[in-house]
Amino acid sequence: MIPQKTAKTKLLKEITKCRACRFCVDVCPTYQASIGVESMSAFGRLQILKYLLKGRLELDDAMTFCLYTCLQCKRCEIICKSKGQNLEICELIQLGRSLVSPTLVKGGKNAAI
Amino acid sequence: MQQSKIMISQALATLKDNMARTGDPMGFTQPYWTDWAEKTDMPRKGPTILLTARMYQMLPYVIQETSLVETIRPLLPLLSVKAFAKMMAMGNAVAGEAVIKFKARNAQNIRLKGNTALTGILAVLRQTGLDPAYLYENEPYSGVLLYDLGLEKDIAPHVYKVYSHLKDQGVKQVVTVDPHTTYMLRTIYPKYIRNYELRVIHYMEYLFENTKKITRHGSCGLPDDFVLHDSCVMTRSLNIIHEMRRIMNCLDIKFLESENSRQNTGCCGGPVEYAYGNLSKNISQARIHELASISKNIIVACPICMINFSKYEKELGIRIWDMGELLHAAIL
Repeated sequence: MIPQKTAKTKLLKEITKCRACRFCVDVCPTYQASIGVESMSAFGRLQILKYLLKGRLELDDAMTFCLYTCLQCKRCEIICKSKGQNLEICELIQLGRSLVSPTLVKGGKNAAI
Repeated sequence: MQQSKIMISQALATLKDNMARTGDPMGFTQPYWTDWAEKTDMPRKGPTILLTARMYQMLPYVIQETSLVETIRPLLPLLSVKAFAKMMAMGNAVAGEAVIKFKARNAQNIRLKGNTALTGILAVLRQTGLDPAYLYENEPYSGVLLYDLGLEKDIAPHVYKVYSHLKDQGVKQVVTVDPHTTYMLRTIYPKYIRNYELRVIHYMEYLFENTKKITRHGSCGLPDDFVLHDSCVMTRSLNIIHEMRRIMNCLDIKFLESENSRQNTGCCGGPVEYAYGNLSKNISQARIHELASISKNIIVACPICMINFSKYEKELGIRIWDMGELLHAAIL
């Protein structure tokens, strides 16, 4: 089990490796089903995590929805790999969830990372 | 999207509570996963076990759980987070098992499919000379849902518990039947346990190594052609792609491929159904229409894909076959 501080640092470090090519956006099944909302794609979720960690976003209903609707299907990772970046996107989103879930379990209204 | 925090908060709290109380994601205390094995005469102990991890057996109850969530959803704006959580927790602990089990009596079709699939898998393993043991009521759940939802603090003790339980039973090799359990035991467990010693093999990987020993006996009533649906975890996390195709070829069963197949396969939408039924439906509809336009007989090799696509059987006039069901028809 990774300590929270290490998880945050790892997450931010990995997210900065994203070159924002956005090839992962179109292939995401939740993006396709949401008629083009970028927050519902792999790239969108990484950005949400980044700004949640930096404290610029608050974990509200919309952010929770975006984070917990990731299917963990790894379709984004295949395209990321093919473009030479090879980020383990689903693992990063899962790591992000592991930072949020303990506070959500408590049911607090202002749960934040 | 509305009330998402309450929904997820409640889903996480219920799952956490169920797992802590019973070690089962549904929170059931009575074993519901052993019925299929009653007439199989599998030994209770052995170095190689068949691990279903309750995945196929819990399908009838999963249908009821998700339909309950949809029923409760309109009430959410009227309740505070704490009140709702308390109500759900109490209801779940006191009467959840009885209510869900009672309602699940109607899900006979999916129960039959699951049991047939498991029997078929066991039959083909036995045909190739492997006679695995089964832990019956002591069979553990892998904890995949805890991991997927990021309940890191709860997954660690569960992993240790399952691993030591398997070691205590003298298990050296685990033959799994679904991709999610395979992924957990092969990839996630070793991250928590030093000197991890279990050999984890999916049944299709085992059959792939022993295709010469597979002989087709039955098959009356099998359709002429099928279309394959690859599971996301199976292809992209486990890289089990050619195995299913080779087994089909070996059994002389004709199949077609969809445009989105192998590593580019489309998701069934199952992983988000626990809380977001509409989104899950949109995703599964897109995929099932793609598959149904190729063949009316669709092969899947994952219980979650099976349950999610089976909802469209009547509407689209299709038949969802689990790989295990197909093996059952071809071998027995």
